[in-house]
Amino acid sequence: MFRFFRDGLYRDYIILILVTIIAGAAVSSGVAWAVDVYFGDTIQEMIGDNGEFDLILHIREASEEAAVRELERIAQQQYPGAVISKTISLAGQVNYLFGFPKEAKTAETFSRLPSIFNAVPGLNSYTVIVEPSVLVRGVHPSISDTLQQRFNQIGGVSFAFRDGKNMLIVLEGAEHSKRVMNEVKQILKDYQVLEIRFPMGFDVDVQSTGDAVIQLLRKEYPGAKLANVSSTEYGEELDALMKTLVEMRHFLLSYASKVTIKLAPGSTVVMGEQIVVQGLSQQVPASGEEAASDHVVIEILEVNGDQAQGMIVSGSAAADGGVLTQPGYEYLSESKIGKPVGEVRIENERYRLNYAIEESLRLLRELDGLSVEAALAVERADKVLTTFQEALMQLEVLQVQMQQLNKGLAEKGAQSTSEQLIISLFINGLLKSIAKSGSETAEEFDLDQLENLDIASMRSSLESIAEQIGSIQEIDVQAIIDQVSDIRDSLPDLDDEEIGKSVRLVDNYIAGQVIPGERIQILVEKGPVDTEAVEPLIRSRLQNQYLNVYSIAAGTVNPDTRTEVFRILKEVRATIAGILSIVLVGVFLILDHATIFSTLKWFRANQKQPRHGLAKLMNPVALFSAAVGAAVLAATYWLSRAAVPYVSMATVAVIGMGLGAAVGIFSEKFSPVRADEIMAGLALGLNNAQIMHEIVIPDGRPGLLQLMNRAKQKF
Amino acid sequence: MLKIRGLRKQYGKHIAVDGVDLDVRRGETVVIMGPSGCGKSTMIRCVNRLTEPDAGEILVDGKSILSLDDQSLREFRRTVGFVFQQFNLIARLNVLDNVMFHLVLAGVPREQAEARARKALAKVGLESSEHKHPANLSGGEQQRVGIARALASNPQLMLWDEPTASLDPILIGEVLDVMEELVRTTNTTSIIVTHEVGFALKVADRIILMDKGKVVEEGSPRAIFADPQSEVGKKYQRLIAS
Ligand SMILES: Nc1ncnc2c1ncn2[C@@H]1O[C@H](COP(=O)(O)OP(=O)(O)OP(=O)(O)O)[C@@H](O)[C@H]1O
Ligand SMILES: [Mg+2]
Repeated sequence: MFRFFRDGLYRDYIILILVTIIAGAAVSSGVAWAVDVYFGDTIQEMIGDNGEFDLILHIREASEEAAVRELERIAQQQYPGAVISKTISLAGQVNYLFGFPKEAKTAETFSRLPSIFNAVPGLNSYTVIVEPSVLVRGVHPSISDTLQQRFNQIGGVSFAFRDGKNMLIVLEGAEHSKRVMNEVKQILKDYQVLEIRFPMGFDVDVQSTGDAVIQLLRKEYPGAKLANVSSTEYGEELDALMKTLVEMRHFLLSYASKVTIKLAPGSTVVMGEQIVVQGLSQQVPASGEEAASDHVVIEILEVNGDQAQGMIVSGSAAADGGVLTQPGYEYLSESKIGKPVGEVRIENERYRLNYAIEESLRLLRELDGLSVEAALAVERADKVLTTFQEALMQLEVLQVQMQQLNKGLAEKGAQSTSEQLIISLFINGLLKSIAKSGSETAEEFDLDQLENLDIASMRSSLESIAEQIGSIQEIDVQAIIDQVSDIRDSLPDLDDEEIGKSVRLVDNYIAGQVIPGERIQILVEKGPVDTEAVEPLIRSRLQNQYLNVYSIAAGTVNPDTRTEVFRILKEVRATIAGILSIVLVGVFLILDHATIFSTLKWFRANQKQPRHGLAKLMNPVALFSAAVGAAVLAATYWLSRAAVPYVSMATVAVIGMGLGAAVGIFSEKFSPVRADEIMAGLALGLNNAQIMHEIVIPDGRPGLLQLMNRAKQKF
Repeated sequence: MLKIRGLRKQYGKHIAVDGVDLDVRRGETVVIMGPSGCGKSTMIRCVNRLTEPDAGEILVDGKSILSLDDQSLREFRRTVGFVFQQFNLIARLNVLDNVMFHLVLAGVPREQAEARARKALAKVGLESSEHKHPANLSGGEQQRVGIARALASNPQLMLWDEPTASLDPILIGEVLDVMEELVRTTNTTSIIVTHEVGFALKVADRIILMDKGKVVEEGSPRAIFADPQSEVGKKYQRLIAS
């Protein structure tokens, strides 16, 4: 085969290989570099020069003008020398860069960010981009103060401050970045947050359980410093969803008919098992028969001794009065009714709720009328009292007059006249009757007694009654009635079967999931605690086989935004270069090298006997092209400083080999040989190099080879 | 001038040329005839090693062709004109370049090469078409370019592999006329593979009949067609009679 390359062709081919490599590497690293520069410029545009700006303020577009005015005011009055610059805006939000003057870049300033900018109209949020800095994400609130102090002591650190859950460490210079990052990582290693998560529905007293865990860990890790730092906030949205689902499950269950089973002696049921009762069906269930479709099927939720709780999963049991008590039977496969299990009591909560609402609506409607009547009654009583008081006063006057009259009568003479007697009798009778209208116990009437009546207090209590009735009238009873009616109407119109299905659905979804809040966090210093080792211990200590123990880092270290973006850019650049070099080498192999491989094959076939089958695939040209592919791609990849994630140099060589072999095997498809022209060339006494330069290459595809051939081609 | 002994060429199990012996004298015109697939092309290609024979000996002026190294082989090929059935012109080049490019590549100065090419084109009557491209020529014209290309190197030996086989009957005439003229006016040794019996009768000094890779009969045209000894010869006799 190598005979073909005589007459100086081998030199040409080596040059072609080198040019392929250089061109491939140049183009791929060039394009990658261009992408790099483009994005670099974009980033520059987006976040300014290194260290120029400290914040990106995200402002609602509508408030832009007012916000800018406020920002300018802050820059002029509070921080003279501050710089403001508008950057890209997207989706109804404009973004402004803000840089504090050098002397104001202090811990004090940065810890006051919210109060500095709280008057900026339309400010949605801000992103801190202070440079050079190291960012620690997800710092546990329980140690942020400690960490802040420790970070401040690292050499090269200007100051550290908190920004929500993150902590930013501002450096004295970018050159400290790497070392500070390492030291920060080292510090973070001293802390560990152990999280113990409990399964759904497990009520946990965060304090006492946490303390119990600490006690246990103290024994296992005597040197560690442990603190219960459990908090009840749920950060993650998934947790909120879980919480909602669990609440919904509670709600649904409380709304479902309450099923209690009093187990017959000797009967047992287990959780998840199903039993069947007659419900409202005409057909009485009987052991051994098949259950009717309107029989009620109940799933057991909980068993406590001879008591069990259940939930209706099919059928309806809404009875009058809301309570239904019927014998229950085992519900076996193929809807067969089994042995009796005990007495089942189904209380329809919805029925009761409806009843209660209807009752209160009725009362409310009456209350309205009642208050009007009561007000009238008070008014009347008041009038009576006034009349009574007036009467009493007159009576006193009368009494005095009578006494005087009696006295006068007595003074007139010892013997009373019949006239006097009549008058005396009349007066006594009158007094008696008056007293009767004021007091029930006026048997032995005495006007003094009558005087003792506390008219004033009676009046004041009447007034307070009137006041209360007045306030009842002030309440918009109709509005309450409307509200309660609304509640009644908006009660879900679900039957037990539907509730049962929903509860099962929720159960399926949250099966195995752990509810937020039902977790304990323990801060460990000088650990670390091995979660796998302590999990079984904690499980047995808390008698819960389903809890899980996780270890959470006290924070994760990231470089500042720009460094991070540039790091990603570098990766992107290397990946682009890698992919481009593979593509370009493929293209070059097809455009240029395929021509040579085809010709090589033609010469071999023409000189020796043609081969068939496997021998054709295994032919030296395919091996040769595979070697060329591997060498060219590996060199191009390396030269263009490419790095595709998870792709090693060996892999690249194998890819190159594959590309080369494929192009070698299918070379005629990419670059067919003009056999008649080559044959003419041979007959005319041309050497291989001349045949290549004058016939094969000019006839082939345009590419590097043709470009290089220009100088040598005579015709 | 040319001496072939025991020439053999095998493709897989198929023996294309099976022990051919042949002697050609200087200036002689030998016509080789035979049924399709009998190995004529294979044999004639072996002469300048466009096909490498498996066994045998080829001597030109006493020099072994099969033992030539690459360089000497190329030099030998430059002295042999080969006319292909399919013309095998370089599609990319115009007529003049097609006729002269190999001269230039062999080191002949351009002007000289051009002059020789023009002369060769004049011999085949194509002096006015030198700037045309092969695609714009008729089949007969293309083959005449092919002939001019062979002539341009002033060959001592001309090998013709069915030069008219891919032409339609009207065009065959113009090519045969050119060939006849060449054979008459020059003293070049020629081996012509053809199916044109009339032409063979007119120009051949000697006719060789081949069948199944072997030479089955040879002699003067008159002798062969008057009293053929072989099966193939008898078939040709009947063809002429009809
Ligand atoms: N490159 C090749 N590979 C395999 N077989 C071949 C090859 N060239 C020729 N043959 C076979 O060798 C035999 C002789 O072929 P050759 O072309 O020499 O015949 P020919 O006498 O020139 O026929 P024709 O008159 O059709 O041109 C034929 O059977 C042909 O199929
Ligand atoms: Mg032939």
